[in-house]
Amino acid sequence: MVNNKVQDELIKTIDEPLDFTEDELIENTKVKSDFWKRLFKNKVAIFGFTIIVMLVLVAILAPLIAPYPFDEQSLKNMLEPSSLQHWMGTDEFGRDIFSRIVYGSRISLQVGFIAVGIALSIGTVLGALAGYYGGIIDYLISAITDIAWAFPTTLLAIAFIAALGPSLINVMIAVALVNWSAYARLVRGEFLSLREQEFVEAARVLGMGDLRIIFRHILPNAIAPIIVLTTLQVPQAIIIEASLSFLGLGAQPPTPSWGSILSSGRSYIQQAPWVAIFPGIMIMIVVLGFNLFGDALRDVLDPRLND
Amino acid sequence: MYKYILKKIIMMIPVLIGMTIIVFLILHLSPGDPVEMIAGPRASPEVYNNIRTHLGLDQPLIVQYAVFIKNILKGNLGVSILQHRPVIDLIKERLPITLDLGLSVLVVSFLIAVPIGIIAAVHRNTWADYLVMSGALVGISMPTFWFGLILMYIFAYKLRWFPIAGYGTWKHLVLPVVAMSLNDTAITARMVRSSMLEVIKQDYIRTARSKGLAERVVIYGHALKNALIPVITLLGLKIGWILGGSVVIEIVFNRPGIGRLMVDSIFARDYPVVQGSMLVLTTTIILGNVLADVLYAVVDPRIKY
Repeated sequence: MVNNKVQDELIKTIDEPLDFTEDELIENTKVKSDFWKRLFKNKVAIFGFTIIVMLVLVAILAPLIAPYPFDEQSLKNMLEPSSLQHWMGTDEFGRDIFSRIVYGSRISLQVGFIAVGIALSIGTVLGALAGYYGGIIDYLISAITDIAWAFPTTLLAIAFIAALGPSLINVMIAVALVNWSAYARLVRGEFLSLREQEFVEAARVLGMGDLRIIFRHILPNAIAPIIVLTTLQVPQAIIIEASLSFLGLGAQPPTPSWGSILSSGRSYIQQAPWVAIFPGIMIMIVVLGFNLFGDALRDVLDPRLND
Repeated sequence: MYKYILKKIIMMIPVLIGMTIIVFLILHLSPGDPVEMIAGPRASPEVYNNIRTHLGLDQPLIVQYAVFIKNILKGNLGVSILQHRPVIDLIKERLPITLDLGLSVLVVSFLIAVPIGIIAAVHRNTWADYLVMSGALVGISMPTFWFGLILMYIFAYKLRWFPIAGYGTWKHLVLPVVAMSLNDTAITARMVRSSMLEVIKQDYIRTARSKGLAERVVIYGHALKNALIPVITLLGLKIGWILGGSVVIEIVFNRPGIGRLMVDSIFARDYPVVQGSMLVLTTTIILGNVLADVLYAVVDPRIKY
C-alpha cells in the first residue's frame, strides 16, 4: 500500500525532465578509455601491431621499396640465388623475388582487409538484427547463418571459385562469403545480452527509434569482440587466399600473390628452393603479427583470462 | 540419449540440403558450356541438342535439381567426362586415402598436444610453458602447405629419409602427417593449456589436494578429465579444418585423395566429378560434426539430454 507521500515523490520524478542527454548516454556506456593505454603498454601487442603497420606501409610504399617491377622478366638471370642485385634471388622468368614479394603484400592486404571488411559488415548487420529483434527475424537469419557456418571454409571457398572462375576478385568474394557467418553469430550473441541492459531501456524512453539504438548505442559496446574476431579472421583470409593462389585458383599470373610465388617455387624446389622459402616466411610473419596482436587484445579485454 | 542423437541428425538435414543446393549451382553458375565440352566445338546442332536433352539440361532448374537429388539418393553421382567412369568409383578409390591422412593427423596431434598442454599448464610461467607457447604460436602461424614443401625438401629430397611423394606405405604418410599436425597440435595444445588452467582453479581441485592426494593423481585423475571436455568440442571444428586442409597437402605430396581429385577436376572442367567429390567430402565433414557433438554429450555429464 503506497502512501500519499511516496505517490507524490513518484509523480514528481515522472514529471521532471530527464536529466541526461543522448550524448551523455553514449559516453557513459562506451568501452572504458583506459583500455587503449593498457593495450599499448603490452609488449606483445606492440610487437604484433608493429608488424601489421609495417605490412600496411610496405604495401602502400611498394613502388618505392621494390628495386624492380614485379613483372620484369630477364631470361638470362633465371633461378639465381640471393645476391646483392637480387636480395631474394630470381624466379623461373628472371623476375626479382624480393620485388614480387613486396608487391605481393598488396594482394594479401586487399584480401585481408577488403574481404574481411565485407564479411564484417554483412555479418554484423545480420547478427545485430537477429539479436535485437528476436522472433521470426532471428529464426530466419540464424538458420541461414548456421548453414553457412557448418561449411568447411577452404572447401566452400574452392566451391565458389569452381563456380565463378579463378581470379583475385572471386577470391575476395569467396573469402567474404565464407567468413560472414562468424561475425553474425558473434554479434547476435552480444546483442542478445546487451539488449537487456538498462541503457537500452533508457534510450527507448528517450524516444529513440530501433535503428538508432542498434547502431549508435548497442553496437559500440560490442566493438571489442568484433575487433578480436577480426584479428583472427584477417590472417585466416590471407592464408585462404595464399592456398587458393597456390592451387592456381586465385590470383592469375603475373600477379605476384605470395601463394602463387610459392606455387611456382614448388615446381623448382630442387634447383631453387629460395623461390618457395621466402614467400612462406612472409606469410608466417604477417600471420604471426596478427595472432600476437589478437592474443594481447584478448588478454587486455578479458581480465578473467589473465594468468 | 537417443532422442538427442535423433535431434542432432534432424538438425543436420537442412545443412545437407543447403550444401547440395550450393554444389548443384556450381555446375550451372560456372562459365563454359558442359554440353560443348562433351560434344566438341564442331558438333552439329542435332548432336548438340541430343546431348543437351540426354543430360537433362533443357529442363527447368528446379526439375534438374530434383533429378540431381534423386540420383544422389540412388548412389548415382554421374559419370566423369574425362575418364568415362562412374564418379562413385573414383571416389571409392580415393576416399580411404584422404581419410587415412585425416585420421592420422587427428590422432598424432592429440597424442602430442595433450601432454605438452598439461606440462605448460602445470608449469605455468616457467621456461617449459614459454617454450610450448612460443612453439604453438609459430605452429598456428605457419602455412601448412609451405611447411610441407620445406619438409619435403629437407627430409625427402636432401636427406632421402622418406619418399618425395605418392602413397602406399607408412613412409608416404609421415611427411604429410607432420606437415598438417603442426598447426593442429599447436591449436590443441593452447586449448588444453587454457582449459587445464581453468580447471585447476576450481574448488574440487582444491578439495582433492586438501584431501592429501598426490599431485599426480590430482592432475591426471581429476583435472585432466574435465579439462579435456572443451578439447572434445573442438573435435567437430577440427574435422572440417583437417579435411579441408588435406586438399592442399594432397597436391603438395601428390597423394591421390579426394581433395586432389576435386581440384584436378576443377581445372579439367570435369563438373560431375567436382560435384560428386565436393558432395562426399562435405557430407563426411557434416557427419563428423554430428559425431563430435554426440561424443561431447556423452563425455560431459553436465549436458542434459
